[in-house]
Amino acid sequence: MKTQNRKQNISQIVIQTLKTHPVIMILIALIVIFSIFFPKRFLTPLNFSTILKQFVTLMLFALGPSITVVMGSLDLSYIGIWMLGGILVWILTPIIGMFSILIIPILGVATGFMIGIIQVKAKIPSFILTLSLLVIYSGLTATLASGYTRHVNGYEFITMKLIPYFPSAFLWTIPLIVVAIYIMKRTSMGVYIYAIGSNEEGVRLAGINVDKYKIIAFTISGLFSGVGSIILFQHLGASVPLELNLNDMTTPLVAIVLGGTPLLGGNGGPQRTIFGALTFSVLYQGLTLSMINPYALQLLIGLLLIISIVVSSRGLKGVNVT
Amino acid sequence: MGSKEDSIIEIKGVYKTFNGVVNAIEDISIAIRQNEIVGVVGENGAGKSTLMKVLVGVFPPDKGELYCKGEKVLFPKNPKEAARRGISIVYQEKGVIPCLKVYQFLFLGHEDKYEKMSNLNLGKMRKYAREILEEFHVNCDVDSFMYELPLSVQKMVEIAKAILNVRLEHGDNNITSVIILDEPTAPLTIEERKKLFSDILRMKKNVSFIFVSHIIPEVMEFTDRIHVLRDGRLVANFDLTKSKITEEDLFKEIVGKESSEHICKHEIKSNINEKIALSAMNLTKNGCYYDISFDLHKGECIGIFGTAGSGKSEIINTIAGVINYDSGTLMIKGRKVKAKELPYARLKRGVGYFSGEIEKNLFLNWPVTKNISILNIEKILSKFISTMNFKAEKQLAKKIIDRLRIKTDVNADCYSLSGGTKQKISVGKWLEKSPDILLLENPTIGIDVGARNDIYETILDMNKSGISIILVSDDPEEYYILCNKIFFLKEGRIQKVLSPEKFKEVMST
Repeated sequence: MKTQNRKQNISQIVIQTLKTHPVIMILIALIVIFSIFFPKRFLTPLNFSTILKQFVTLMLFALGPSITVVMGSLDLSYIGIWMLGGILVWILTPIIGMFSILIIPILGVATGFMIGIIQVKAKIPSFILTLSLLVIYSGLTATLASGYTRHVNGYEFITMKLIPYFPSAFLWTIPLIVVAIYIMKRTSMGVYIYAIGSNEEGVRLAGINVDKYKIIAFTISGLFSGVGSIILFQHLGASVPLELNLNDMTTPLVAIVLGGTPLLGGNGGPQRTIFGALTFSVLYQGLTLSMINPYALQLLIGLLLIISIVVSSRGLKGVNVT
Repeated sequence: MGSKEDSIIEIKGVYKTFNGVVNAIEDISIAIRQNEIVGVVGENGAGKSTLMKVLVGVFPPDKGELYCKGEKVLFPKNPKEAARRGISIVYQEKGVIPCLKVYQFLFLGHEDKYEKMSNLNLGKMRKYAREILEEFHVNCDVDSFMYELPLSVQKMVEIAKAILNVRLEHGDNNITSVIILDEPTAPLTIEERKKLFSDILRMKKNVSFIFVSHIIPEVMEFTDRIHVLRDGRLVANFDLTKSKITEEDLFKEIVGKESSEHICKHEIKSNINEKIALSAMNLTKNGCYYDISFDLHKGECIGIFGTAGSGKSEIINTIAGVINYDSGTLMIKGRKVKAKELPYARLKRGVGYFSGEIEKNLFLNWPVTKNISILNIEKILSKFISTMNFKAEKQLAKKIIDRLRIKTDVNADCYSLSGGTKQKISVGKWLEKSPDILLLENPTIGIDVGARNDIYETILDMNKSGISIILVSDDPEEYYILCNKIFFLKEGRIQKVLSPEKFKEVMST
């Protein structure tokens, strides 16, 4: 009975979705605004492709952390995995050849597992822990690279053009997103992650080994960051920077929060981060088209983080119920 | 249906100590039979929660035996094993996971039964969840989030989850389970409580309940037998099906007779002023209390008496600014105040709030000095620039400690002190502040008789110096000692006003 009723009221579902996902309205509004202001430059296949490229970068960085954020923790190690992993690939390529790219996901899993263990045993806030780890990784990267940007050849097939105007990195991203959403929505693991983010004590009282699932969640997050970094490694020029870029670190977080995953956890997830990343990419590209001062752009990103936290915490009622 | 002697769960001689010193529970034996609701009552700290946690495997007991349908079994080591023995619990709070959907919450911890190749069969889960909710007459959609449901429905879902927990662990739908309800009505309004109880009574056919509470009328109305715990011991058993008891009988057993014997009786006070310090007119908060009107004169001490759940603590919390009221007027020192004023604003008006619950009063990892000075910060600021004067802070703390006759170092951290000393310090910090009105909620909860007397003396001293007091307590003796006037509260309404002598008569008959 109820399912039939639901099918009839499609319009109601649309309204409900918009209410709980305020980001979709922002996305549509942005597209409309930019199309009106820059009709010739915004609505072009080239621009579309640029937006998608930006989206891939954001999405792959944000995918792992969106899982840990749902759990109420924060995992900032994604940039570190990408940087250190990239330089390890450069070191290993002369030794083991093409397979050296697999070092990145291995590093990711190891990092995630380590973060999980330390977080559970020492009970340190994950923000500080992963931030420190990030600094260590970036220092390690610069040391290993002995101060020079290192370029690795041979992985061009990852970004080889398959469909015109459609970055192939985007195609590789789709299965990753699907797997992440599947884990969060269809497995008991996912239910536990949501539950821990919502009321950790309650989950413990329900007789579930919270520590174990926390470690698993960080490991999965590291795995996604690692696999994502394979694509990103080539996507962002087959070399890694030697210095930590603050923008690289914050923009994925903006995408997560803007998408509607509150930093307190319990709600949201990868499926929302898609909208967050897409909205941010559209905004970024639109503002770039408007010839705004690049430094002012950075200011806008910071402002956007604050606004998105306010908006997303309004859109989700369950956040306040803890 | 077995005979009366068939108990599903029975414990014998259970002991549990913490840190090898404090006896949390001592020599407790309880049996739970089929289709009955057993009440376990006692004051805070009487050992109710510890006993329940032993039963569900959170704490292992030091000594004791557990019998399941007459067979001796080991005590469970975790909630899952407890469920295998047929025991499950609904916690007082923190049991609900607000961001989960109803069906996800129901099966939390048992997903493996619906998981194939790490793929959850959501359709099957939803269908079974719907059946379960229908069986227990819980009216809600399995796809709504837990936080969307009203509190009473949340409780029902929790109870259904507890029963389901046992069933899934056994894989048998007809298994009789023992469900522990740990103060299930605490967050509910009066109307919601009634609804919850009618639902629980309906479930009694399949399930036995252990009902843990300190709300006497509820326990009297809904249970078949009552066990009373006091200071970790089983002090009384009542079989309500066989004999009739009154609320007062139960009250006496819970509080303990000997505790009142040594306590000094107060002198008749004559310093009550005509000036009205606080007056309430038709104060109403729906679901908690209705039409509360009273005047508090300067130097007067009034008590609001009622059983737990009668709305007395809500009234005092309203005056303190912790919760707000729906209608009526509240005047403090002749000025009308807004309903949505926060505690700091009330304190500025001269209303101090003191609750006996240590966690609400003291910063346990701070030294005594800081705990006292946080409330009296303006007194220890240097005159020249407003910085903390640590010498003055120490002197202030010493002054209060001497006055209360506490033997402790002022730099000692509060968690290292005994319960009585902690309580004295939290009362003592109000001595120096001297607000015009002091609200007391269970000022002597969980401390021994000697320390109680000291606290009463301190309170009476403050009262003599012109501070008006409103008292709310679970101990009727306290009203007799401290109050000039006692308001009798029942189901959120003032029934009568009594003098302390009359009050004592009423309570002793």
